[in-house]
Amino acid sequence: MVKKLSIAAIIMVFLVVSITFAMAEGKGNARKGKYLFRKTCRSCHMEGGSATELSPVSKTQAEWQKTFDNAGDLKCKDEWANLSEKDTVDIYSYLHGHAFDSPSPAKCK
Amino acid sequence: MPETKSQMMSRRKFLQLTGGLATATAMASSPCKVLYALTRDAGPQDTEEIREMFSACDMCFNKCGLIARVENNVVKKLDPNPKSLKSRGMLCARGNAGVKQLYDPDRLKYPLLRKGARGDGKWQRLSWDEALDHAAEQLDKIGKEYTRCGFLFMAGTDMQSTFVHQFAEAYGSYNVISHESNCLLSRNRAFLDTYGVMPTPDVLNCKYVIMPGANRFEALVTPDSMDLMTARTNKSKLVVLDPRFTKTAALADEWYPIKPGTDMAFFLAVAHVIISEELYDKTFIKEKTFGFEELREHVRQYTPQWAQKETDIPAKDITRIARELAAAAPSAMIYPGRRSSDYEDSTQIRRSYAIVNALLGNWDQKGGLLVPKKVKPGSMHIEAPFYEDNPDDRVDAGRAQMMFDEEGSFKHTRDAVIEGKPYPIKGWMTYKTNPMQTGANRDKTIEMINTLDFMMTVDIAMSDTAWMADLVLPAPSYLERQDPLSAFLASSTCSGVITRDPVVPAMFESKPVFWIVKELAKRLELGEFFDFTVDDFRKAQLKKIPEVAKALKEDGVYNVTGPSFGIHKGKPFKTRSKKIEFYNTRYKDKGIDPMPVYKQPKTIPENHFRIVVGRNAYITQSASTNNSLLWELEKENSLWIHPKSAAAMDIKNGETITVKSHVGKVTIKARVTKETRPDTVYMDTGFGVLSKGLTNIFGKGACIAQILEDKADKISGNMAMHETFVTVSKT
Repeated sequence: MVKKLSIAAIIMVFLVVSITFAMAEGKGNARKGKYLFRKTCRSCHMEGGSATELSPVSKTQAEWQKTFDNAGDLKCKDEWANLSEKDTVDIYSYLHGHAFDSPSPAKCK
Repeated sequence: MPETKSQMMSRRKFLQLTGGLATATAMASSPCKVLYALTRDAGPQDTEEIREMFSACDMCFNKCGLIARVENNVVKKLDPNPKSLKSRGMLCARGNAGVKQLYDPDRLKYPLLRKGARGDGKWQRLSWDEALDHAAEQLDKIGKEYTRCGFLFMAGTDMQSTFVHQFAEAYGSYNVISHESNCLLSRNRAFLDTYGVMPTPDVLNCKYVIMPGANRFEALVTPDSMDLMTARTNKSKLVVLDPRFTKTAALADEWYPIKPGTDMAFFLAVAHVIISEELYDKTFIKEKTFGFEELREHVRQYTPQWAQKETDIPAKDITRIARELAAAAPSAMIYPGRRSSDYEDSTQIRRSYAIVNALLGNWDQKGGLLVPKKVKPGSMHIEAPFYEDNPDDRVDAGRAQMMFDEEGSFKHTRDAVIEGKPYPIKGWMTYKTNPMQTGANRDKTIEMINTLDFMMTVDIAMSDTAWMADLVLPAPSYLERQDPLSAFLASSTCSGVITRDPVVPAMFESKPVFWIVKELAKRLELGEFFDFTVDDFRKAQLKKIPEVAKALKEDGVYNVTGPSFGIHKGKPFKTRSKKIEFYNTRYKDKGIDPMPVYKQPKTIPENHFRIVVGRNAYITQSASTNNSLLWELEKENSLWIHPKSAAAMDIKNGETITVKSHVGKVTIKARVTKETRPDTVYMDTGFGVLSKGLTNIFGKGACIAQILEDKADKISGNMAMHETFVTVSKT
């Protein structure tokens, strides 16, 4: 059990470090991110779902940055652990790129 | 004298007789076998079935509520819906003429496949199955050979365009553009980058309106048009800056024939006066704005004396207007306008409008810039697949500094398609949009079309865009359609929801675009994404707003009349600084001027004129010029030219002249008038058509797109249509 936890912790740390690194580097594929967000996240993060309704305009760019930097603190961190590093960067690109105060805020759909 | 029943009958009979005569004449004069809408002779009066049906007008984008009077299944008259608060209970000339969009002998009637070269106008009639099979085959083929992004979609502003977008999403193309980049994107960009939102001007309650370029009494009759008229009767002041003496200029208190391209100079000077004379609300500036000190420093150089040299407007008037504006604040505004497709720095020009508005402290105030609460209908989510072989981004990406991702840029897309870079686009579907008439530089549009493997157009009439397509599919007019709900903003009277149900059944073989994309989806194994009806879609929309259904049924419109100002107190702005930004740090980061820097418009070469674009009250772009009722008001366009300039070339009023630019040449009749500056010429849009399927106007007038050069606003990618210089000569 301890071994499993520590492996999970190591993965989380690795994920966080590499996401931050990747985000600092630049772009993921925001369009892939849109598809992945809908497939992975929206089922819970929608109206009537088990988590808060979310779309890119739910947060400012700075807030999305903070969320992803602190992914280990999220309730759904287990689901996050299942995503590849590229997938997470793509989802971040989509959410950050179309955030509340971004140049192209997502239109409600 | 009271009307007797027999007198009423004979009048009706008379109208029917003349209606029948007109139809008969129309038939006799046309050699082709075309089906005409025939109005039936009415029988005795008591068998007449009269219905009144609600709908929403589609002759422009305003969607004014209307009531159609239907007698014996024939639409006789369109009247305003008095309950439609957005339209202030009015239906304009174009709206009334909607009957002739429905009963238009030139209407597309069945699917057509091009035979012969593009633009030849030779067509073969297809059945719907044949047409849809063919289109699906092309979509599949192009998708396989060039990835799904190899197919471009362009849908105009329409209540069914959402289905075209959904189809593009399910199909897998992110190359979706609207017409907005030929219109107002640079305005949206500028206001979004100042306020974090595109606000609505509360013209009704405004005491001092400066209207630069916009032509509200003629161009598009929006709530602002009516409100401005009402405001004028309430002693509000209107100052118009326009190189042309438009109807709006005629009804203004002051009109200045401003030198085209110098609006920014005027507004920077106004900002200079307001700041240097401390005519602003210090608390508002401190609490709600960012970058004031930088702005103060920036506008120090932009004095009224300097602006006089740029704008041809006297410095004393600029100063006086600035002071009057500030005195009327916060119920004072620089009207944001609509179409801003004019200069290469059109976004920065609108930034100067937004900045002066902010100096007036009119945000969220009566008579200022508002953001009323819009009704939020539910929607239907589709889980579109992801096509791994697709390129990373849109084909027009990276050409403008800050393009709106969901609107794109027609100019940049067209260039990309012609270049074949960054990747080829070989298919194009257009719906309810006419870039052949409204996109500057028509020859380039033709060049673009000629690079395509396949082009399909869904439209009501044989527009010039349809004329160039390979497959033309007939759509019903708005009076024959069932549409989803549409939420709208109605300025100071808040917001609402409207919809359409068929007033009469769809004529000929016309089919709504929703049905078309559904059928295409089925053939492409994407049917699961369109497994619903318009009724299902409406139910999903009504889930969040169930109270709307009753109002729509009983009143034909749902109005929200809550407060439209004072509702954003204490809320942060959707900007980086969370305040109204005089200084935009995101611009700075991207190497864009964080505050508007004035650049002199290019000097007009000798013996040349600048040509500008505009509208009048009875034509909406190109969609209405062939309408039989509206055509009676203007049978062809003409070039407005000042008497001094005309005399210098011995050009008389009505004479046919040649107008030439770097990209094209047209002949047109001259309209010699003082209503324009000596250095500026103008013509209405929508004439000089290539399509022989527009029988009223074919061979008449000139196509302005033929001579307009296609520059673009650097920031948003919006078309810049006022940068063209032309020569004018006797033909």
